Amino acid sequence: MYGRKNKSDQPLGCKECKQGLQEYLDGTLEKPESLRFFLHLRECTACQEEHDRLQGLFRMLESLPDHEVPADFDGAVLASVPYAAYQAMEPLRRDRVPVFLEEAFLPRFVRARVTRLVGLGVASVAMALALRGDGSVLLPVLIVTGLLPEIVVRLQGLGRRALETTRRAES
Amino acid sequence: MFDRHQDLKTIRRCKRGEEAAFAEILGRYRGAIYNLCYRMTRNSEDARDLGQEVFIKVFSLLDRFDENYAFSSWLFRIGTNHCIDHLRRNRLRFLSLDGGVGPDGEEYEFQLPDSGPGPDTVLQRKEALERLEEVISELPPHYKAITLLRHDQQLSYEEIAEILQLPLGTVKARIHRARNQIQQMLAARSYDI
Ligand SMILES: [Zn+2]
Repeated sequence: MYGRKNKSDQPLGCKECKQGLQEYLDGTLEKPESLRFFLHLRECTACQEEHDRLQGLFRMLESLPDHEVPADFDGAVLASVPYAAYQAMEPLRRDRVPVFLEEAFLPRFVRARVTRLVGLGVASVAMALALRGDGSVLLPVLIVTGLLPEIVVRLQGLGRRALETTRRAES
Repeated sequence: MFDRHQDLKTIRRCKRGEEAAFAEILGRYRGAIYNLCYRMTRNSEDARDLGQEVFIKVFSLLDRFDENYAFSSWLFRIGTNHCIDHLRRNRLRFLSLDGGVGPDGEEYEFQLPDSGPGPDTVLQRKEALERLEEVISELPPHYKAITLLRHDQQLSYEEIAEILQLPLGTVKARIHRARNQIQQMLAARSYDI
């Protein structure tokens, strides 16, 4: 296959031209390479003839006549489709939810009731302190971290319910 | 060249068992698949049977279709393999020619016949196309398939590599070899195209 590099400053020889002619016609060569072919073909009658012959073949190959599909083609195919099986499998397929909406997507300790309650407790204490005017930078961090488990678990639930609703609306 | 997104939507309807969706896929691809089978076999009855079998197979295996790939690639892969298998089963037809199918059906040495019409024969375009179809039909199955995917279906090297599950370099090399062989066969028969 034609693929040698670092020769792009030299003019193309006939041997190289013959080897790479198919790729030149396919249009898969880099621009500078392509230019070398173009220049050589302009000068060399023998390669030009070879080029025209190959191009003629490409054109012929691309214009092979289409054969008409027999009229009864679809019947046997459509009669064989297991429609009932697909319909029966549809509910199974529908029950599947995206991975990130599956409960198991979240680590068990995040989902645990204790974690969520403790988190809420920490967050509310921190919020109370913040409201009383305690200016520590630690408080916003505690609030966010405390609320996080509860929020992600609830968002997941909401996502699942939204998905169910859209699917019911679709069918 | 086929609308991948549109196909995926239709395939999802097929998976729900919607009859009209299967008819849509047939409408989109029956011509391409039938013609692939026709040119692989050069026989309209074989082409009809093979084409129908390809769709029957595809329509019963939709759950195995990987939506990360284009449906057209999957369909052409099944179609191409089905035709190649058929040709191998009917290998005798090939052995009666001057060439032979190797153990893997791949390497194939053609003894070029030196008969054929004289070099001064001027053929009409229609006749020239028939000659070309004849020559293509005598290529080894793999070369035939790759030539048809490239020139008849006008697919890119990348698409063909995905369909045949071959490295890009192998696809290019095979297409080049197939074209060289076509040229040699045409020349040996003095078929001027
Ligand atoms: Zn030259």
